[in-house]
Amino acid sequence: MLAAGELTGLDNRPEPTQVEPTTPRVLTILSFVLEKLVDRNESIVEVLSHQQQQLDGLSCGGPGQVGKSLNAFHGVRAPSISIGKYLERLYKYTYCSPSCFVVGYVYIDRLMHKHPDSLVVSLSVHRLLITSVMVASKMLDDMHYNNAFYARVGGVSNTELNRLELELLFLLDFGVTVSSRVFESYCLHLEKEMMLNGACQRIERAIAVDDVTEISVEDTQTSSLSSQID
Amino acid sequence: MAMAAPGQLNLNESPSWGSRSVDCFEKLEQIGEGTYGQVYMAREIKTGEIVALKKIRMDNEREGFPITAIREIKILKKLHHENVIKLKEIVTSPGPEKDEQGRPDGNKYKGGIYMVFEYMDHDLTGLADRPAMRFSVPQIKCYMKQLLTGLHYCHVNQVLHRDIKGSNLLIDNEGNLKLADFGLARSFSNDHNANLTNRVITLWYRPPELLLGTTKYGPAVDMWSVGCIFAELLHGKPIFPGKDEPEQLNKIFELCGAPDEVIWPGVSKIPWYNNFKPTRPMKRRLKEVFRHFDRHALELLERMLTLDPSQRISAKDALDAEYFWTDPLPCDPKSLPKYESSHEFQTKKKRQQQRQHEETAKRQKLQHPQQHARLPPIQQSGQAHAQMRPGPNQPIHGSQPPVAAGPSHHYGKPRGPSGGPGRYPPSGNPGGGYHPNRGGQGGGGGYNSGPYPSQGRGAPYGSTSIPSGGPRGGGGSGYGVGGPNYSQSGPYGSSAAGRGSNMMGGNRNQQYGWQQ
Repeated sequence: MLAAGELTGLDNRPEPTQVEPTTPRVLTILSFVLEKLVDRNESIVEVLSHQQQQLDGLSCGGPGQVGKSLNAFHGVRAPSISIGKYLERLYKYTYCSPSCFVVGYVYIDRLMHKHPDSLVVSLSVHRLLITSVMVASKMLDDMHYNNAFYARVGGVSNTELNRLELELLFLLDFGVTVSSRVFESYCLHLEKEMMLNGACQRIERAIAVDDVTEISVEDTQTSSLSSQID
Repeated sequence: MAMAAPGQLNLNESPSWGSRSVDCFEKLEQIGEGTYGQVYMAREIKTGEIVALKKIRMDNEREGFPITAIREIKILKKLHHENVIKLKEIVTSPGPEKDEQGRPDGNKYKGGIYMVFEYMDHDLTGLADRPAMRFSVPQIKCYMKQLLTGLHYCHVNQVLHRDIKGSNLLIDNEGNLKLADFGLARSFSNDHNANLTNRVITLWYRPPELLLGTTKYGPAVDMWSVGCIFAELLHGKPIFPGKDEPEQLNKIFELCGAPDEVIWPGVSKIPWYNNFKPTRPMKRRLKEVFRHFDRHALELLERMLTLDPSQRISAKDALDAEYFWTDPLPCDPKSLPKYESSHEFQTKKKRQQQRQHEETAKRQKLQHPQQHARLPPIQQSGQAHAQMRPGPNQPIHGSQPPVAAGPSHHYGKPRGPSGGPGRYPPSGNPGGGYHPNRGGQGGGGGYNSGPYPSQGRGAPYGSTSIPSGGPRGGGGSGYGVGGPNYSQSGPYGSSAAGRGSNMMGGNRNQQYGWQQ
């Protein structure tokens, strides 16, 4: 169960007018973990490049074949923005709760387990992130921006993001529920990853997940919004 | 009873949802209008099995996949029970050209996503609305028992349905009753510390705690709705047909008494108690009003329509009530009469509706002249109510021939519980067939008046220079906001642009044109 007292990160969130928001630690950790993963996978891809080509050859499953592989998330070339900066951008503009990044990571992890032959690489990691964080925000946050907005923040078209959203939902078999137990275990996992590398950081458990509460701190503080909860 | 630990259900099931195309099915006809799209009766080509296809409307590109649909799918995926509608699979339709309105669009994924459900012939409201329909006591017990069993299963699995009403209780010709339309459902935790929206449940079935504005609630909200349905089955018509929230509360208080700290400790701390507390003392008159009910039925109803949610009976305890264990016992679903289902999609155009009804009436006259001599299919609302009340001398079950009547299934069609004629007597409609005022649509739909304090529809982050994310088609939506969307605005803005609003009684308003 998540302690209600640990609401760091949200309390300190600056006004939109301020330039640099305080970055929640989850972003740092997540970016670290994903960079490591992508680096590792890139080297595997080199070794298995011919196999990857075969996989690419099977790509572009049209409608009716949604949810077959991660190929839909592959861009033509890797975006120049780093994973860390991209996460910061998502957080800065979408105001999604920090928990969305943990849950987004859970979704990506579930995808990796369902499709072990589809590797998360630099060509796909950004699209996976924008899509999974958006879906997480839809599931968790009482207020969330729509797909059109996320598309602009994420640098993809509205149409593509909708397509990626469908892909993600079908790839996950609509298993978008993350229990508080699972949420906590992923937090611990991410923290452990950091500690193994000498940095001891704790993730903000700002929002409880799904079967606990879906109200964020802002809601209770902004009286006019207090009833808009799920 | 099938019980499973919450969160540990079906971890490895159906690994390939979405892989099939809707072309695997042959659409037979449209049978309803769901919260977020049309519902079709269809046949699976390979097996010949009849299913219901519920199309998920994807026409709001800015919103993407409707959040209500995500919620319904994720919840139905983990619920597997004979009294809960079975979501068989999700299929996609290829190509962009399949937009029903024929509008051109650039979204290749607008081809469509369909939820495939097992096919059900009726829903409880549609069935009860049939002319000449009377439920027997064992039949009512049978439906109530199934309703409670299904609901208990949901509650055990930490799911609140939040829209229990007759039109969401589907019934097949084997007499099985299943809960459907989980578009408003959500999981809950037992500690009741979560803040949940009080803007759920169709008005007539909404419990007093939600009307008084509580945001901390649990399974008891569904049990109030069950009580309303139970009373409706026994009484023959809805017992709390309020037209807005204050009237709804007033109707509840008139029957159940006004709450105070004695009978409902803590009630005065509920947000809007002071706005709504009655000005005069009101006594509980439930026993008196329904004194003609069977003693055990009344006993159970008393415990379901208990104002204080913490004292309200749970689904589990209700199943243990004397009512279900005394003669006449609930009958076996299979012994129930089979009702012929008709699949004419009930359009909103009243002319068409009227014509259909006239045809139906004609057909019935030909088929069952005797029955209709006793119970004419039209304008017999008063009689029908009396007749629907099961009495000891109405052992009709098992012997009734199939009756052709209007469509009786909605798959969550956005309509009030009325559906059929002869159930809600229009105030002045003496000779006029099928109440011409009824099909009239409220137009705007949604809910845009009422006693609720400001609900904060404004954009929470003010006017940043970011694209507005307001739901499309604000014309139909009381929730049309700029900026971020409230996740629970699903049935309104984010998915269906003002149709299918089954919260806030909006559907009733639409149906009857009460507002506007």
